[in-house]
Amino acid sequence: MIPLFYYLALSAIIFSIGLFGFMTQRSGIRMLMCVELMLNAANINLVAFSSYNADLTGQVFALYSIALAAAEAAIGFAILMSIYRVRDMINLDKINVLRW
Amino acid sequence: MAIENMAFLIPVLPALAFVLTFFLGKKLPNGGAIIPIIAIFTSFVISLLITMNLLQNPGQVVSQSYNWFAILNVGILIDPLAAVMLSMVSFVSLLIHIYAVGYMSHDKAQPRYFAETALFTAAMLGVVLSDNILQFFVCWELVGLCSYLLIGFWFEKPSAASAAKKAFLTTRVGDVMFLAGIILLFADIFKIFNGSIPQGVYVLRFDEIFSHIPEIAALNTQIFGFEVSHLTLITLLFFGGAVGKSGQFPLHVWLPDAMEGPTTVSALIHAATMVTAGVYLVARTFPMFIAAPYSLLIVAYIGAFTALFAATMGLVMNDIKRILAYSTISQLGYMMLGLGMGAVIGITAVGDSLFHLINHAFFKALLFLCAGSVIHAVGTQDIRQMGGVGKVMPITFATMLIASLALAGFGIPGTSIGVSGFFSKDPIIEAAYLFGESTENWFPYLFSIVAALLTSIYIFRLIFMTFTGKPRTSYGGHESPAVMTVPLIILGLLALVFGALTKTSFGNFLKETFGNNFVSIDIHALAEMGEYHLASHGSGSEPLIILWMPVIVAFAGLLISYLIYGMRILDMSSIVSRNNPIYKLLYNRYYQNAIYTEFLAVKVVYEGLSLAGRSIDRGFDWLVNFIGHIFMELADGLRQLQTGVVQNYATAVITGVSLLVILLKLIMEVF
Repeated sequence: MIPLFYYLALSAIIFSIGLFGFMTQRSGIRMLMCVELMLNAANINLVAFSSYNADLTGQVFALYSIALAAAEAAIGFAILMSIYRVRDMINLDKINVLRW
Repeated sequence: MAIENMAFLIPVLPALAFVLTFFLGKKLPNGGAIIPIIAIFTSFVISLLITMNLLQNPGQVVSQSYNWFAILNVGILIDPLAAVMLSMVSFVSLLIHIYAVGYMSHDKAQPRYFAETALFTAAMLGVVLSDNILQFFVCWELVGLCSYLLIGFWFEKPSAASAAKKAFLTTRVGDVMFLAGIILLFADIFKIFNGSIPQGVYVLRFDEIFSHIPEIAALNTQIFGFEVSHLTLITLLFFGGAVGKSGQFPLHVWLPDAMEGPTTVSALIHAATMVTAGVYLVARTFPMFIAAPYSLLIVAYIGAFTALFAATMGLVMNDIKRILAYSTISQLGYMMLGLGMGAVIGITAVGDSLFHLINHAFFKALLFLCAGSVIHAVGTQDIRQMGGVGKVMPITFATMLIASLALAGFGIPGTSIGVSGFFSKDPIIEAAYLFGESTENWFPYLFSIVAALLTSIYIFRLIFMTFTGKPRTSYGGHESPAVMTVPLIILGLLALVFGALTKTSFGNFLKETFGNNFVSIDIHALAEMGEYHLASHGSGSEPLIILWMPVIVAFAGLLISYLIYGMRILDMSSIVSRNNPIYKLLYNRYYQNAIYTEFLAVKVVYEGLSLAGRSIDRGFDWLVNFIGHIFMELADGLRQLQTGVVQNYATAVITGVSLLVILLKLIMEVF
């Protein structure tokens, strides 16, 4: 059996990649993809702990999380589509009409 | 069932009539006038029966008390004083209601009129039979409210609306003093009991108050460096209330303006239901007044001054109702003077004063109803535009003449011949003479005798100007219908004979007011406490000229009036002109009205209030703006955080989560 450490390390690496992408990218689609990465890093953690502790709760949570991510992605991309139609770009730095 | 048990119905029935007439009046003929008439008639019958019982046995008064809350009660007290007032109020009010059926027949708002007059009567009856000062005050205020409603009955007229407001506000000045007196009295009695009131003792009931007079008199307060007895303070505050309600100087200004209401309302106010309340208050608390140094003297001086002061203004008025209004003020002055003369004749003063009150109620109601009859027929209130009305309206003329004779007080001293005003005004003037004799202070007597002369002049001026001579303008007058003339005739008969019939029995009856099963008071002991020296001998022993004096001045007044206004021998045009400063002063009512409304009301109260309001407004404005400003500035700083750059938000989130984790870690290491 693969030790828990490997799962956690993988999860941390994926999370860091996601975070890095999220902080550096300006395109809305890329940022959403990075958010998905971070979410899935968390999912890996959940499933790993679940299997390690022989408790199904974590896996159920992971399923919920996936469903949630799907919904979020659907809405997020729909919003980005709408923005694109209006502004002809999806650079979130420029979408700041509600700024002070 | 004994009639005493129905005493509570006396005020309740008219109050019920108020509700019924208000809601059902529109569906009944004459605005539902029949409801209050029946109710007040029943009240009158009950009052009369109780009075008859009381006449048989004056020592057994009707007294019923029920717990209201804590140490206060509601109750009924019908002693001789209350009994005569009850009978008079309900009787005069009844006649005025009947008369109003004719007088108000053209008015659209009849149900409202009859409902309000019924409430007015109920309130006054409530005042009269209260057995404690608090209930008295509540009904007293109700009287004030009704007077406001009725004076402003034609509220679409701006002058009526402002007259109503003026009446309400002016009497309020007195009412506040009255209330202050009650509060002080309550506090004092509480102090006397050391704060623990025994079960079943109602502190504001009249018998309880009277039994504590010596203790209250012993309490003193420093005012402007003078030691003032609380009793004097309380009685003067009470008298302040009476001054407001009874139109004494300096708070009489509302009474002439109260003429804006229908004439029947004026009759009610002036005869039965309002202005007598003040006199009644002083009479009711007379034991307190006589035990309080100076109080009775102040009552006497104010009364005498008012009698003369108002009579001078009555001389120059041209509005028939205004002449009568000033006449009322003057006569009320006599009543107050009569009460003040308790300083020299003791308890008899209450009888004298109340006797004048009752007689005055009859002839003043009659005068007003006659005036209403004339106004109804002629269509103007200005006596300069009348003249010769006597030929068109013989019944009105005859009854008005009787009332005027009664007001002027014609009669023959020492006999039973005379109109009612004679028998009641003379004892007061004689008492004033006695007062002068014993204290060397002749002002009350002088004022009252000059006022009597002026009374005769102004009332016969009215008679001559209105009823005799030739019409000065064309008016299609006619005699009023029977529903209006019958009350006139009844009142006329009473004005003629009531005084002669009851001149001795009335006073004797009223003497029982303060010595019966409810209260028993030694007036002489109280008078000593108040430092008044009662005359050893009663009235009637004065020189002949003094006995005849009031009648002589009455005749003199009649003669002067006749020469000026009847025969027109004396030419008054040089005196009665706006160029004559005295005439101008009188015509402008001593500029008192101007001072009150233009200076006090507009300058002091109105502008003062607006200044205060402005300052307070500004203060609040500043405060509100300041608080708003703080948050505006704060928000201005805080919103700089919203950069609109998503990465900044993400940084904040990550920093926050990291900090939380570090914190958690630290906490877990500590524990």
